[in-house]
Amino acid sequence: MIGASLSRWSMAYFAAALIALFAAEIMMTAGFGFPGATVAAPETLILVHVVAIGWLSLLMCGALLQFVPVLVVQPLYSDTLALPALVLLVSGLAALVLGFLQLGGYIGTSFPFLAAASVLLGCGFALIIWNLGRTLAAAPKLPLPARFVTVGLVCVAATVTLGIIFALVLGGTVNATSLLVLTGIGRPIHATAGLGGWLTFTAMGVSYRLLAMFMLAPDLERPTTRAALLIGTIALAVAIAGGVIAALTHGNPAIALLAAFIGGVLALALYGADVRHLYRARKRKNIELNSRMTAFAFASLAASVVLIAVLLGLGQLEEHIGAVVFLVAFGWLSGLGLAQLYKIVAFLTWLECYGPILGKAPTPRVQDLVVEPRAVKWFRLYLLAVWAGEIVLLAGLPLLFRVATAAMFVATIGIAGEILRTRRLHNVAAASRLPAGAQLPRLLISSHA
Amino acid sequence: MTSAFLELDVRPTLRNGGEPFQEIMQAIASLVPGQGLKLYATFKPVPLFSVLKSKGFSNEARELDNGDWEVLFLPTEGAAHTAPAAAPAADSAAWPAPMQELDNRDLDPPEPMVRTLAATEAMQQGEVLCALLCREPVFLLPELAKRGHAWRGAFEPDGTTYKILIRIGAADREAA
Repeated sequence: MIGASLSRWSMAYFAAALIALFAAEIMMTAGFGFPGATVAAPETLILVHVVAIGWLSLLMCGALLQFVPVLVVQPLYSDTLALPALVLLVSGLAALVLGFLQLGGYIGTSFPFLAAASVLLGCGFALIIWNLGRTLAAAPKLPLPARFVTVGLVCVAATVTLGIIFALVLGGTVNATSLLVLTGIGRPIHATAGLGGWLTFTAMGVSYRLLAMFMLAPDLERPTTRAALLIGTIALAVAIAGGVIAALTHGNPAIALLAAFIGGVLALALYGADVRHLYRARKRKNIELNSRMTAFAFASLAASVVLIAVLLGLGQLEEHIGAVVFLVAFGWLSGLGLAQLYKIVAFLTWLECYGPILGKAPTPRVQDLVVEPRAVKWFRLYLLAVWAGEIVLLAGLPLLFRVATAAMFVATIGIAGEILRTRRLHNVAAASRLPAGAQLPRLLISSHA
Repeated sequence: MTSAFLELDVRPTLRNGGEPFQEIMQAIASLVPGQGLKLYATFKPVPLFSVLKSKGFSNEARELDNGDWEVLFLPTEGAAHTAPAAAPAADSAAWPAPMQELDNRDLDPPEPMVRTLAATEAMQQGEVLCALLCREPVFLLPELAKRGHAWRGAFEPDGTTYKILIRIGAADREAA
């Protein structure tokens, strides 16, 4: 065990992820895809996958390449594999978008873009799973947060497998009846595995550790944490395995998904109790912007659960599924992602630049790399825009929704600008920016030196 | 020829109200590959089991007639050489007592790392620094390695304090 070092390519993942987020926000503002088009329309599929793969998955992969080694106190299995994985994922997403454009009749060529996307994305995610899986496997004992991540990796494998089946069916590459049926009714399983299993469950695991680290709270291994892991895992297994089996045996996957939802609510309630405990047990009284903004992301997660329950009760879930996905993706996952990214980039940049000379020369503090009063305005705008967008979406006001997403776009440009200034050390006073022996980190590649 | 077990009796230390953890870890560090530790204690040292398990030792605990405990720590197969990796400094010679002690447990990260490295820079070759932390210092360890320092670290039996001993400029000597 020699601890964890800087992940070489995580900054490149983050940059690619932010570009995808901008692209998605521009699409929504331009009225491309939902709510202007139906949920199943090719335009909406493009939008959803740019958000899910381009923004959220690349962000998550970049964060995991850095923090899985921290969780298990083992070096990353391979720094080298991270780059081809990124290239495969980005080119796979491009092929997927082209494939959907083909489905929508926007492009006339007969090149099998969806099949190409299957291969590229399948290989890209496989490399990520292999790399992180080997890192986890090297640990003598997996702490609880790492177990959440392990379940998340199994879920991304399931999500990608279903996605590949759908892409091959829609692209006309395969036409087995059972797979046609699965494609017809399996989308909620694919979405649950991706948003619930891969993105939410993994984010839960990593947040346990990051919140404890950044707020000086004790690491949790409470019975509630174990119960959240166990119940959440069972719920995901019921949703994914149960859903697929139901679909293949001419049953109704909705029953499996409903059962899983009840388990999921229980797991999230336990997680909520743990997070509350973390905030209360913290030793650091004045918490930083990332931890304050993360609290709003948790509020969005809770609101998502309530919204699903209410819509289920009213029998309107299907009608408003787009609004639910919007709140989960932009209120919860993106809210958490942007808040933590703001801190992660500052911390990693500080470590890369000043770590080698700590103690040898006076160095700035991590907080000298950021200007929170300026950044907080962008975060507030972002959160207000998301919640306003959610309300007008539920109210059926598509034009106002585009105004809200335009505000989200402006806010994320602002946040990304702050992150860029942090990475370039622009916020550090010139006199203390680069003491002797320190080097300005490169924008996209972190060095070990 | 070394015997299969190194014997360590920490009962006197415990009866005097002392803390035998350091003693035990030093004994563990001095084991030759394949050798086990026979430990005598006044109670069943349960917290130690997981600490030593992570270092590659299984245990067999037995209560003695007088209520004391005898525990055999056996190196699990293949772990004999990887065990000391948690603390690359696995030399048999005892380290000198720490010249300086830092309690960094209540500091905001990354302040513990900053203070620890600042202290090492002010110390002389061969001296030992002791620092208390509130978690395993994952980002500090590679920096110590780069600077050529040796270290030994583990969680205290309370499970919440991580104690690290750093010996200045000793990495080469330890490896030899």
